[in-house]
Amino acid sequence: MQSAATPRPPADPLEPLARAYGRSIPEHPADDGLYGPRSVVWRVNRDRSFPLAGIRSLMMQALHPLAMAGVAQHSTWREDPFGRLAATSSYLLVTTYGDTAAAHAAAARVRSVHRHVRGVDPETQLPYSAEDPDLLLWVHAAMVDSIVAVVRRYGRGLDGADADRYVEEMVKFAEIVGVPADQVPASVEALTSYIESVDLLRATPAARDAMGVVLDPPGLDAETRELWQELGQVAVGTLPPWAREMYGYSEPPAQVMGREPVRQLLGALDLAFEMQPGVIEARRRIELRMRA
Amino acid sequence: MSAGAAAMRQGRVGRGAALARLALRIGGRYLAGSPRLLFASVERRGELRHDLALRSADEVAEELGSMKGVLMKLGQMASYIYDDMPQTFRASMSRLQQKAPPMTPALAASVVVEELGGPPERVFARWDPVPFAAASIGQVHRAITHDGRAVAVKVQYPGIARSITSDLRNVSLLRRLVGTAFPGLDTRSLVDELGERLQEEVDYAREAESQEMFARYYDGHPVIHVPHVVSELSTSRVLTGELVVGDSFEDVLGWDQHERDLAAETIYRFVFRSLYRLHAFNGDPHPGNYLFHGRGRVSFLDFGLTKRFSDADLDPLVDAVRFIVFEKDWEAFRASMERAGFLRAGAPVSTDVVVDRFGQFYGTVLQDAPMTITSAYASSIVRRFFDARGPLAPYSDVPRAYVVMQRINLGLYALLGSLNATANWRRIAEEIWPFRNGPPSTPTGEAEAGWEKGRLSTA
Repeated sequence: MQSAATPRPPADPLEPLARAYGRSIPEHPADDGLYGPRSVVWRVNRDRSFPLAGIRSLMMQALHPLAMAGVAQHSTWREDPFGRLAATSSYLLVTTYGDTAAAHAAAARVRSVHRHVRGVDPETQLPYSAEDPDLLLWVHAAMVDSIVAVVRRYGRGLDGADADRYVEEMVKFAEIVGVPADQVPASVEALTSYIESVDLLRATPAARDAMGVVLDPPGLDAETRELWQELGQVAVGTLPPWAREMYGYSEPPAQVMGREPVRQLLGALDLAFEMQPGVIEARRRIELRMRA
Repeated sequence: MSAGAAAMRQGRVGRGAALARLALRIGGRYLAGSPRLLFASVERRGELRHDLALRSADEVAEELGSMKGVLMKLGQMASYIYDDMPQTFRASMSRLQQKAPPMTPALAASVVVEELGGPPERVFARWDPVPFAAASIGQVHRAITHDGRAVAVKVQYPGIARSITSDLRNVSLLRRLVGTAFPGLDTRSLVDELGERLQEEVDYAREAESQEMFARYYDGHPVIHVPHVVSELSTSRVLTGELVVGDSFEDVLGWDQHERDLAAETIYRFVFRSLYRLHAFNGDPHPGNYLFHGRGRVSFLDFGLTKRFSDADLDPLVDAVRFIVFEKDWEAFRASMERAGFLRAGAPVSTDVVVDRFGQFYGTVLQDAPMTITSAYASSIVRRFFDARGPLAPYSDVPRAYVVMQRINLGLYALLGSLNATANWRRIAEEIWPFRNGPPSTPTGEAEAGWEKGRLSTA
C-alpha cells in the first residue's frame, strides 16, 4: 500500500504539533471562550500527560468499525500522521482556549468536512456518515474517557469531583460538532456506562493497521522511536482490559506503568516540545489568563 | 567578616613592596563599607518573570520535575563539551534556562522556615522577599543579618532535590535521552559523571563547604575574591554568603582592552591555581558566576559544581605538561595521555598525530611569548578536540575524572576568547605549576607572590 509518492516525514515530528500549539492559543482573544479560565477544562486540557491521553484516545476511537472506516477511507493521516495529529490537537486547543467565535468557526469547519465523509464499512457492510450523532458521540466519549483516565493516573491532581466536572463541561465539546447535549454523558459514571453499552466494538483490520502506525510512526530516529514505543506500551496499559483483548495486546509489566517513570518519560517529551519555538510563549498566555 | 580577620587581611596585604604599590592603586576592597548601602546597590534582574512565579511545590515539580530540570542541566553541561551540538539546540537550551520562573515570596519564605526555623523576616534583620537573581535550582534573595552583614541568600526550590535524585536514578532513560540529543557521544561516562555532579549540586551544604574552602584559600588575595559562607544560616537547601556587587561579564566586554586583559589574567590564574595548588576545580565557567571590580579584581560565585582532584588524577596531567612543554619528549607525552585515559593504549595512530591533536590544549603555554586568545582560536580548540571525524576520534575519550575539568577548560577558553585577551600565559602558568615555581611575571603576579608568602607564613 505504500506509494512511491509518500512524502518524507518531517525531521522533527514535534514541529507540526508545536506550530499548531503556538497558533491555537490566541494572543488577544475577544472573550473567554466556551469554558473560561476558571474551568476544569482549561486546567486539564493543558496537562503534560496529554500525549499519552492522545494515544489512548486513538486506540479507543479506532475500536468502532464505522468510525475507523471513515478515517481509513477519507483521511490522509497515513501520509502525514503527525500533521493529522497536529490538526486534531489544534482543534482541541482552539475550542478550549480560543474565543467563542474561533471555537464555533473551528467546529463549523469540522462539520463541513464531515458532510463528505460517508461510505460503507467493508468489515460490517454497514453504511456510515461522519455526521451521525451516534458515531460522533463515540469519538467524543472515547477521547474524554481517555483524558480522564490518563490525567487521573499520570497528570496533575484531578480528583473524582473535578473529573465529573470535566466530563460535564466537555458536553459542549460534543454539542458544537452536532451531538444533542442531552445524549452526551455528563459524569464519569455515565461516561463509563455509555462506553460499556456500545456493542459494535471490535478491532477491524483497518484498526489494527492504524494502531501499527500509531505505535510505530515512520520517520523517527532509533532513540526517539524507542521512547515513543515505550509511551505506546504505557498507553496500552491504560486501556480497559476488554479493549486490550480486542487488539490482542498483552498487559505491560507493572514497572512500566509506575507513576514516576511514566512522568519522567512524559517530562522528557514535554521538554522537547517546549524547546520548539512558540510553545513556552503560548503556555505563558494560558497561565497568565488563568491567574488573572 | 570580623574586624580581626579584616586586620589580618590588611596585614597580609602589607607584605611586599610591589604588592603595596598595587594595593595602593587598587584602593578599596570588594565590599562596600556599609551593609545597607551594599544591600541597596544590588539590582533586581528584570528577566525574572514574577507574574508567573511558582506558588507551590506542585508547580515546581511541574516546571522542573520529571526529568525536566535534570535534562536542562545536563544539556547545559553537555553544551560545553559537545561542540557539534546544533545551534538550534543551543538556542533552545538558553531559552529554557531563562524560563524557570522564581518562587513567590511566600513559597520561598516557607523553605526558609523549614530550613532555618523561622520566617525570613525574623531570621534576618532585613529580608527582601523578591529575589534579585535566579540560581541553580533556586533563587537568590538579599538580606542583612542580625549582626549587620549584607548577605546573599540562595533558597532552593522545594521538592527539587528529591525529584532530581529520583530522576537521576532512572539512568537507562537518561542515557537514551542524552543519546538522542547528542548522537555519537559516549553517553555512559558523560551521564554518570554529570549525574554525580548534579547530585552534589542539589546539596547546598556541600556547596557551602566547597565555597568556604575556596574563600579561605583565597582570603586576602589581591585580585581573586570568593565570598565567605555564613554557616550558621546555611543548610542543605539554604546557602547564605557575603553579598558581593560588581560588574557583569557583559559590562566587561565594553571595557578597554587593558582592563579586559587584567580580568582575563585573573580568571586564568584562578583556574590554574585552584587546580594545581588547591587540587580543586570550580566547575561552572558560566560568565554569570563572575563579578568584576576593575583592575583585574574578580569575585567568583557559585561553587555547586566543585570537583576535587586526587594526586592520582593530577599526576598524569602534570607529567603531560612536563613532557610536551619542557622536555619535548613526544613518546612520553603520549604515554601520559594514555595513562590519563584520554587515549587508548596501542591505538594505531602515529605519535605526531597525538601530539598535534592533544597539543592543542597546550597552545597557550608552548611559547614563552605574549599571545592573544581570540574567539576563533577558542572555538578551533574545542572543535578540533572533539572532532568526531578526526584520526584520533575512535581511540580518544574523556575519562570520567576529567569531564568537569574539560568543561571548565573549554568554558575558560570561550571566556578568554570573548575578552580577546593577551598575556604571556606561559609565564603565568610557570608561576603556578608546582614543579616550576616561576618568578612573578606581571604586576598581578607580584601581588599574588606577596599574598602567597603571607599565606605560608601565617599558615
